[in-house]
Amino acid sequence: MISCRDFIPAYSELFKFLENRGGPQAVNDFWCFLSDRFLGNLNDYVASNGIKGCWMYWSHTLNEEACDFTMELNEEEGWFRIFLHECPSMKRLITTDHIEPYHDYCKHCDVLYDRVLKNYGFETTLNMSQCKSARCALMVRSRDAVAKNLPAEGLPIK
Amino acid sequence: MPTQVMRKKAADNVYHHPDFHGGLSYGLEYLQDHYGPDAVREYLRQFTRTFFSPLRKEIDKRGLEALRDHFTKLYKDEGGEATITLNGNELIVDIAECPAVKHLRKRGHVVARMWSETSRTVNETLVEGTPFAAELVSYEEQTGRSIQRFYRRRA
Repeated sequence: MISCRDFIPAYSELFKFLENRGGPQAVNDFWCFLSDRFLGNLNDYVASNGIKGCWMYWSHTLNEEACDFTMELNEEEGWFRIFLHECPSMKRLITTDHIEPYHDYCKHCDVLYDRVLKNYGFETTLNMSQCKSARCALMVRSRDAVAKNLPAEGLPIK
Repeated sequence: MPTQVMRKKAADNVYHHPDFHGGLSYGLEYLQDHYGPDAVREYLRQFTRTFFSPLRKEIDKRGLEALRDHFTKLYKDEGGEATITLNGNELIVDIAECPAVKHLRKRGHVVARMWSETSRTVNETLVEGTPFAAELVSYEEQTGRSIQRFYRRRA
């Protein structure tokens, strides 16, 4: 058995294995498959609760993953943001000396979540400018929030 | 309506996210469907050789005691019921119910058809190149109940 604690290195290694077999497209294809099959809970939360479903979904996952984060929701304005001050997954990969993270590891978040949320008219933006340092930010917005350019602050890394 | 804010630090929670088992389970399913059963085994060998390289070195140095300590910690962290017995040149890991399988079934996720390879192939790879061998003595698909055995090879 591989413990859930060791899943992240196994995940990263799976991406490398797939890329060796079929190039970057093979990795992207797997991410799409995983989004469709594995993110049913995110889909259900958002289908029932709109953008608040994002808050509900990530309240569960970010706490179980013991993330250092700030999460914000403004239902009236139609936006949701996560600031990952330190992503435990990427931190694990970059601080484990004997493993080399998959070169585009963080992109899986971009593909997996957007694929679900766009079905409900939400736009997902990921700021990965510092993801190699285990810091990133994610924003989900309604069409209305996008049109009004809300939140005004945008999506900085914090 | 004001913006709701949740701020948490890493120390506020214990790192335990069993939903990750689902990611691995779907990963194995995907590999089997798109690249065949041998790809599942090859991937698990590749992962084990890489990620568990420090453990493999410990097995070289400390033998089965290193494996006993590894499995004791693994099942303690996962909250699984395990009876682990080291008797001379044989280590038996008796798992009443696989915590990952239990979680996957509870959540309604697919348990990969080749899930048992996360024990069989991983264990065999952990001891490759050492004086020890690994055997998955029994495995029950529904619960993941298993008996895993490590023993010294005959010279």
